[in-house]
Amino acid sequence: MIKALKKAWLASVMTAGLVLPGAAMADTATAPSVIKIGTLYASTGNFAIASKGQYEGLEYWAKEVNADGGVFVKAFNKKIPVKIVAYDDQSSTSTATTLYNQLITQDHVDLLVADFGSVLTSVAVPLAAEHKMLLIDPTGSGANFFTQKTNYLADVSIPSSTVWPLPLAHFLLDQHIKRVAVIYDSNDFDASQAETLKETLVKGGVTPVYYHGVPTGETNYNVLLHTIAARRPEALIEFGYPPNDIAFLRTLSSSGLHFNMTFTIFPGQLMKMMEKTVGAKAMAYTYTYPTPPLVATTDTTYGPDTATFVKDYTAAKNEAPNFLNVAGFNTGLIMQDMLGQAPQFTQLSFHQALMDMSGKTKTLEGEFKINENGAQLGELFSVAQLIPSGDTNKIVVVYPEDKATGKPVYPAPKQ
Amino acid sequence: MRKSIPSLRGPAIVLAVLAFVFLMAPEFYTNHSVLLTMMTFMGLAQGLNLLYGFTGYLPFGYVGFFGTGAYATSLLVTFTGLPILVCVLGGGLAAALIALILGPLLRLSGAYFSIANLAASQIIYFIVANEDLKSITGGPYGIKIEQVYAPHASYLTMLALLLVVTALAAYFRLSRFGLGLKAMNQDPVSAAFAGVNVVRERLIVWLVSAAMAGMIGGTYAWDLSVFYPSAVFTLQISVFAIVFALFGGVGTVIGPLLGAAVLYMLYDGIGVSAPQYFELIYGALIVGLVLFLPNGLMSLLTRRRINVL
Repeated sequence: MIKALKKAWLASVMTAGLVLPGAAMADTATAPSVIKIGTLYASTGNFAIASKGQYEGLEYWAKEVNADGGVFVKAFNKKIPVKIVAYDDQSSTSTATTLYNQLITQDHVDLLVADFGSVLTSVAVPLAAEHKMLLIDPTGSGANFFTQKTNYLADVSIPSSTVWPLPLAHFLLDQHIKRVAVIYDSNDFDASQAETLKETLVKGGVTPVYYHGVPTGETNYNVLLHTIAARRPEALIEFGYPPNDIAFLRTLSSSGLHFNMTFTIFPGQLMKMMEKTVGAKAMAYTYTYPTPPLVATTDTTYGPDTATFVKDYTAAKNEAPNFLNVAGFNTGLIMQDMLGQAPQFTQLSFHQALMDMSGKTKTLEGEFKINENGAQLGELFSVAQLIPSGDTNKIVVVYPEDKATGKPVYPAPKQ
Repeated sequence: MRKSIPSLRGPAIVLAVLAFVFLMAPEFYTNHSVLLTMMTFMGLAQGLNLLYGFTGYLPFGYVGFFGTGAYATSLLVTFTGLPILVCVLGGGLAAALIALILGPLLRLSGAYFSIANLAASQIIYFIVANEDLKSITGGPYGIKIEQVYAPHASYLTMLALLLVVTALAAYFRLSRFGLGLKAMNQDPVSAAFAGVNVVRERLIVWLVSAAMAGMIGGTYAWDLSVFYPSAVFTLQISVFAIVFALFGGVGTVIGPLLGAAVLYMLYDGIGVSAPQYFELIYGALIVGLVLFLPNGLMSLLTRRRINVL
């Protein structure tokens, strides 16, 4: 009997010895030592400036969270450091395709973050879906991506380009501006904005007096501006990329032409760079989309507010951040919140966490709100005007009223 | 007949090795995109070799046929719903049709032909990317054929095309037709006197080379499934195809394949391991090639009178 009891006790102890440590270690055994975040950047080519800005913002976020012990991962109930695995796609889509695949199939990254913009994001969309990975899309806002329900795509740091001009259209209608000219680059990003603007204006009873697409490489606006002037518009809206905006504003300044209102996209994102290349005077009274950090968000529900971010980033990098740095940093923040909420360490759980965060999270970029197609509908841009202030211009938000920091100067005085 | 049997052994071995390598490679290396892109450039280098290696016409705008095939395939998928392989074949036919329209360019020679061909490819690009064709080509907003996305099938199709274009190169290299091409490359007038139909044979090669680029482009588009015009009309594709073919050695069967494989692996390797030195290493390599191996890797053997396929 005693022998039998001894045997049973021994068996119990041995079983416990085998099972209990396993049970106790289950969480730590499956938790990775680092969270691998795979991304691409372009050191050369058309997208280099923007791509590097976005990447620097993401790198800064990783450095900050690692200094704090890593990101909290709910699935493992502990903080884990992050590691960014990044490759240079040189702005080439074919290189980007192979490198995205490298990140998924060879590096086995836990999270996949797209490079800047729609072109370099486009090739990752089917690849990510094929490998059932959630593609975190910081700035690929092309309308083409968000046409059907998906669990594998989320636009996190920039509104879908189709919704960018909504506040602008409403501003034009509120100002009772009846004669609007629109000139846009023939690419997904700009043309989808032009289309939304036109559609909203037409619904409001205003049909553009001029509506014309130009090649993305367009830099000669002289003839176009005189053609537009002949239609006598009150407002001239130009949708382009930075090189187009620079050429447009320079040509307008030297042409002697004047419009009551002129709008371009990038002064609100790359103000310092554009003032250096175009000149502050040529940009005076131009309207634009003001983006963080030029406009501040104070009531964030997650992460630092704009002022804190600008202060910390400037201290760490010895230069003030621009919008693309903010977009990269914000991408990190959204992933951080997602990992903190996803109950399981799976791509579907990550996606569900993003859907759960939608409409309830506000970061320094504004409200995070995605739809089931992955399109970002929050983080909407206001309308601002560049008002001369000494040798430079200051950003004054003029619409919508609840965000306005001043009144528009309309019509713009001749320079 | 007896003489022709040994001459077929070489091509058969090359084709078998190619098929074996690319059928087995996915078992050991799961980055499907790298393997498919490598086959794409091997196919393009070989397609370009058909024209440049055997007739001396260097098409800087070869990407025009590639992009035409990509778009024609995508449009056939979008508007006809035909089986994807028929659409890829349609991409090849569309590229051949464009080549037929551009046939008069063959009256030019040397740099004039190359530049005119380059301009033609840019014209096709601007037409496809034109805003006013948005409802047909998608214009600058790109095109989506996600409904046929099937990476394994597109991989096998690309392999089949690589085998076909290599078989064609072997035919050019070993046949009487190929000898005629070489003769007209060296002296078209003498070749014509010797009975070679210079215009007809040159046009055939031009069309075949374009059709191959078109089908390769169609398969590449099938694999991408979401793309913008710039992705399939970028001049980088022409430049890579030319550099890869020259590196290996044009006018041979193995040269362009070897050149594309070696340089693409290097390109990919540097891109992954040391991207900051990419331009330096790649540039130095090309300068070295031009200085020391102007006739490509294959010349290392031919200089020693070793006969290569």
